[in-house]
Amino acid sequence: METNLLDWILFLPLASAVICGLLFRQSGSVAGVISIGSAIVNSILALSLLTHLQAGDTIAWSREICRFGETSLTVGYSVDQYSALMLFVVTFVGAWIHLFSWGYMRDDSARGRYFAGLSLFMFSILGIVLANGLVMTFIFWELVGFCSYMLIAHYFDKDFAAAASKKAFIVNRIGDLGFILGIAACLSLYGTTDFDTLKVAVAAKPAPALVGFLLLGGFIGKSAQFPLHVWLTDAMAGPTPVSALIHAATMVAAGVFLMARIFFLLHPDVLQLCLWSGAAMAALAGLCALAQTDIKKSLAYSTLAHLGIMGAALGLGHPELALLHMAMHACFKATLFLGAGSIIHGCHHEQDMLQMGGLARKMPVTFATFLVASLSNCAVPFLAGWYSKDAILEAAHEHGVLVFALLSIAALATCLYSGRMIRLVFMGEARSEASTHAHESPWTMLLPLIVLGLGYSVFAGNYIGIPKASVSVLPAPMHFHFGAASIVGLGSLIFGFFGALWFYGRSKSDALRDASPALYGALERRWMDNLYDGYVTRVQQPLVDALAFIDLALINGIGGKILGAGIPAGLGALSRRLFHTGSARVNAAWFAIGALLITALLLGIL
Amino acid sequence: MPDPLFVFFAALTLGAAGLLVLSRNAVTSAMGMILALVGIAAEFFLLDAYFLGVLQVLVYAGAVMVLFLFIIMLLNTDKPETKYPWIKAAGGLAVFLFLSAGVVALILHSGALDKVAGPTPPELSNNPAEFATAAKAFGRLLYTKYMLPLQMAGLLLLLALVGVVNLSKDAKPNA
Amino acid sequence: MEHTTLAHHLLLAGLLFTAGLAGVIIRRNLLVVYMCLELMLAAATLALVAFSRFNNTMDGAILVFFVITVAAAEVAVGLALIVALYRRTGTVSSDQLNTLCD
Repeated sequence: METNLLDWILFLPLASAVICGLLFRQSGSVAGVISIGSAIVNSILALSLLTHLQAGDTIAWSREICRFGETSLTVGYSVDQYSALMLFVVTFVGAWIHLFSWGYMRDDSARGRYFAGLSLFMFSILGIVLANGLVMTFIFWELVGFCSYMLIAHYFDKDFAAAASKKAFIVNRIGDLGFILGIAACLSLYGTTDFDTLKVAVAAKPAPALVGFLLLGGFIGKSAQFPLHVWLTDAMAGPTPVSALIHAATMVAAGVFLMARIFFLLHPDVLQLCLWSGAAMAALAGLCALAQTDIKKSLAYSTLAHLGIMGAALGLGHPELALLHMAMHACFKATLFLGAGSIIHGCHHEQDMLQMGGLARKMPVTFATFLVASLSNCAVPFLAGWYSKDAILEAAHEHGVLVFALLSIAALATCLYSGRMIRLVFMGEARSEASTHAHESPWTMLLPLIVLGLGYSVFAGNYIGIPKASVSVLPAPMHFHFGAASIVGLGSLIFGFFGALWFYGRSKSDALRDASPALYGALERRWMDNLYDGYVTRVQQPLVDALAFIDLALINGIGGKILGAGIPAGLGALSRRLFHTGSARVNAAWFAIGALLITALLLGIL
Repeated sequence: MPDPLFVFFAALTLGAAGLLVLSRNAVTSAMGMILALVGIAAEFFLLDAYFLGVLQVLVYAGAVMVLFLFIIMLLNTDKPETKYPWIKAAGGLAVFLFLSAGVVALILHSGALDKVAGPTPPELSNNPAEFATAAKAFGRLLYTKYMLPLQMAGLLLLLALVGVVNLSKDAKPNA
Repeated sequence: MEHTTLAHHLLLAGLLFTAGLAGVIIRRNLLVVYMCLELMLAAATLALVAFSRFNNTMDGAILVFFVITVAAAEVAVGLALIVALYRRTGTVSSDQLNTLCD
């Protein structure tokens, strides 16, 4: 009965995607209704699954798809309370993003394709969540990659969008190479890729560090961890709801979820790497968010910082905290992105924060939800973000001072860029024509903001404790208690948030750029992109040129012209005269002769 | 020595086939084709397959060939193909002789014929599972043993119908 | 009838088939090529009926029924294709339809 429910959850978005994609490409309204309807039904189904699933229960079902000797590959479901929670977060946030898209994309000419893409995206991420093993995860993992490619490139006639989608796809491929090698390593070591059997096998024989490093590659690519984080900021080229979906509910969450799933496979060395790269990225990306004027890019760096925090939580040995933070981050980051979408929509597609200002009066609902989500982002106690971030900070405090310091910087940076964003966008005077004539968005866009922002961001933390199944997600009930983590959290909140509000009120343009252009430039500069570009132009291109020279000059020139020219050219000319005449009649004649010969062979005459 | 009627219709059919292949006028080719199909239908009659013979004349020589003639006239390609040099004609004849020699050699050489059937056809009986002449026997088998192929054939005809409608629409610039 | 054996019928069918095949190879008018293809199919049905009669079974004759059905569908689609081709290129000569080679 329960696998039946899972079937519905998984295949409803696929059905919606197929129907929208194949039948309603031209009529976007019908496609939108189908897609939104399926997403809403799906979230209700996921909620019923979450409330019915007892703690410690798992639903498992699998089916063999092929067998190579001793090794069999299976697809199937394996759902425990973590997956059920993840399922709910994905479908719930996803459903509201679908609804938001209705208003945001109202004037778009390719709405049918867009909604089909959204539904397909939901299908692929749900496949990852429900998967029973690495193979099925990988299949849907690649599907997520494809969907993100398709959605980021929604405005494919714009060069930057096409380039950004290509970049996201290629960078993910690099990580996925590690992932698929990791699957192969699992197969050769344990003969299985199913999570349950793998868990038993690993308990008997611990996995070597190599497997963990390889599988970590997939996480690094998909969840935009250092050094493969470069695609995430460019992915802002897609429509804003797509950014919300990618950053909040689906794509980056997939990596974190996978790591929590295969946590038992990860060697301590792998965790160390994950910890330090995550913590470092959290601190740096948070600061980089201060040097972005594009509101979506700034939010993208914020996402990078939070992903770093999740990576650090994994590295600290707390996959449940990483998952919790992912769930909390999903709700407030979705609100922030949808809020940004509402602002962009209201300001007639102006994305530069320096061109905005004073929007609080013109867009009160958007302002209120954005403010609440920002506060949740800054981990104000008892708002959603606080539950997870505080727990992670405390775990970092127990681990060591350096990690704690890095994560504290991240916390401070979070408050700084949140304050800056609020100050630049909503307060002061309008700094451009577009923001002077800004207008509030329609209700289909405001309702998701209210539900996700006011409802979810505020109450999610309390809510998480309610369903029976999710009780064990949190190690202990969260209460406010005074410790190192809360001191840092509150301190950074007060100094960072209000400091930023004050600091950025001093100048008409960006106050940091006025005060210290060098620092601003250093933060704005895209170090890793430059490094990759440098690698491609300085190392790869000369190497390729050299190889091309060898190929052309040596192999073609000497070997081809002198040694190999005679025989192949003669054969080629002969075959061109005999077979490749371009005449169907000659083909028919050869066909007849061949048929005669084969019949003669079969009869044993020849 | 075979039945004189068989010989007569075999000669007629082969002659008509020769007309179909060799005539440089498409309409003459079509006439040869009709004659050849009628000849084959006559061979069906000689083999006691009366229903199939009638079907052959109705569907093939009737409907299908009318369609061919119609298309020939529609496309107005009844001007003869350009004359080709005798060496090419000799080449065509060589192809025909070579292929027919091959086919005849295969048939005569295979030696399997005597095993699968006797020199004369067996007597007809009323058992419907055996070879029968009446359309009733076809109907019984079509709706019992060959139910699935029959449905498939119906589906195929439907698909052909849809395909032809789609093909014969005027191509839109961005279709 | 008494002395007409299966081999006679098969020889006739084989010769008809070969004539059709030769026509496919040497003719250039696509419509005639198409008629030659139909002749090959008809030759095959003749062989089927002969086998069916001499083995005293109905299966071959039924198969002929299906062959006629398929051939009718094939003619309809094929002629529609030829007409579409003619509209686009203005020719039905197989020698001029060699864009795949150039």
